[in-house]
Amino acid sequence: MAVKPKGTGTRRAGGGGIVDLSLENTLPEAVRAQWPYKPRYADANGWRMHYIDEGEGDPVVLLHGNPTWGFLYREMIDPLVRSGRRVIVPDMIGFGLSEKPTREQAHSLDGHAANLTALMRQLDLTRIMLVCHDWGGPTGLSFAMSNPARVRALTIMSTWAWPLPPAEFHTRIFPWRMMHAPLVGPYLLGKHRALAGRGVYLSVVDREKFGRSAQAVYESALPEPASRLLTWVWPRWIPLDENARALPRFRWLEQKLSQCKLPAMIIWGREDDVFDAATFSHRFKQLLPHAEGPFLVTGRHFLQEDSGPEIADLIRHFLNRLDERERSQ
Amino acid sequence: MTDVIVVEKPDLREKRLSFALAEDRVAHYPEFRDFFVRTFDLDRKGLAEPGFVQAPSGLGYALIFLGRSGEPFPSGVEIHAIVDALEPVAEETLDRDLYAILRWMIAGIGAPWTAEDFDRTGRLYRIPAAASA
Repeated sequence: MAVKPKGTGTRRAGGGGIVDLSLENTLPEAVRAQWPYKPRYADANGWRMHYIDEGEGDPVVLLHGNPTWGFLYREMIDPLVRSGRRVIVPDMIGFGLSEKPTREQAHSLDGHAANLTALMRQLDLTRIMLVCHDWGGPTGLSFAMSNPARVRALTIMSTWAWPLPPAEFHTRIFPWRMMHAPLVGPYLLGKHRALAGRGVYLSVVDREKFGRSAQAVYESALPEPASRLLTWVWPRWIPLDENARALPRFRWLEQKLSQCKLPAMIIWGREDDVFDAATFSHRFKQLLPHAEGPFLVTGRHFLQEDSGPEIADLIRHFLNRLDERERSQ
Repeated sequence: MTDVIVVEKPDLREKRLSFALAEDRVAHYPEFRDFFVRTFDLDRKGLAEPGFVQAPSGLGYALIFLGRSGEPFPSGVEIHAIVDALEPVAEETLDRDLYAILRWMIAGIGAPWTAEDFDRTGRLYRIPAAASA
């Protein structure tokens, strides 16, 4: 299939692949001021996936998790583009401007990894710096471990990639298991958008700034209860016992990562109380002993909201060091 | 908060079932499925009829159970308000009733699930109905 990653003005009908709709950015003006990027769409594994593709150079792919979208990286895109990188930010199917399936069975960890793989192959990306956060971790790292020839390096932030238990927090009924329990999840997170609204708000450091500049954007990307389905489905994919659906995939992922020699960097929020830095960044360092870091920045779970430019700087310098190392070899 | 009570099938003439909430995976925690099986005698009744409850507002609700090949019954459940056929739903009443039905469900499931933890979670996320719970 012919790939046209940055074409203008064409619409390709039918089949899979890139659909360049040449749409203007139709987001509300207040959002456009922070997110001025041209929307692009791909048919990814049967779903309509939104992504942006800015700049030239080796690709940096920024992966978000639950319940955010590419907007999470808004303060990192421009600095990375200006440093000579091509920045690609997909919205996971179910979030942001991507298609939002309305059946729980449409979502699986393997399916989301396959969605990302479809986009990366359609764009024919190689030498990828893969930046993973939250569920962008298990999905992105699954892609990386099954497509290592396309990946140049990894940046890992506030996520996990091993079987149970993910964190003591995730084993507690209040508030975690209650929040996504049968019927309670569709009520709290669906009808009342508890995670897309107050949940993210509680997981940033500068809540005043977040409330002023970002909270409404995250909430408006998931406008109806059905559109918020993945906000309670993803928590149900976190393995809590030996019968968990995703346990074999996480076992595979941990084993693959322990053999992984890709250059890697670990960045964590100092105030992260979901995936606490001491436990989780240390575990990644054990899996990837050659990784740089962990570098601690101001931030709870959504550390990009508090330290976007600083994280972009860390990635930029890390990539510059990789470039220098390659030139000297 | 007044109790939710299980009731016999109400008279549905000039009524409609107004969709309120759905769950595709009621056995995500198996004790939730067990609660519905026990409360509505589903091992015997199967798909023959919905379960019916009366919520604190006095409104009746139908719990329609769903089956899925390869999974124990029920695999899912829909909650519908039973309302006058041509009348819109009173949203605030519906929301308070749903909160009460879920609270009743959690209490019925039993330890380690508690209505107190449900209320705490509701208050953490500033759910209006949790404020008075």
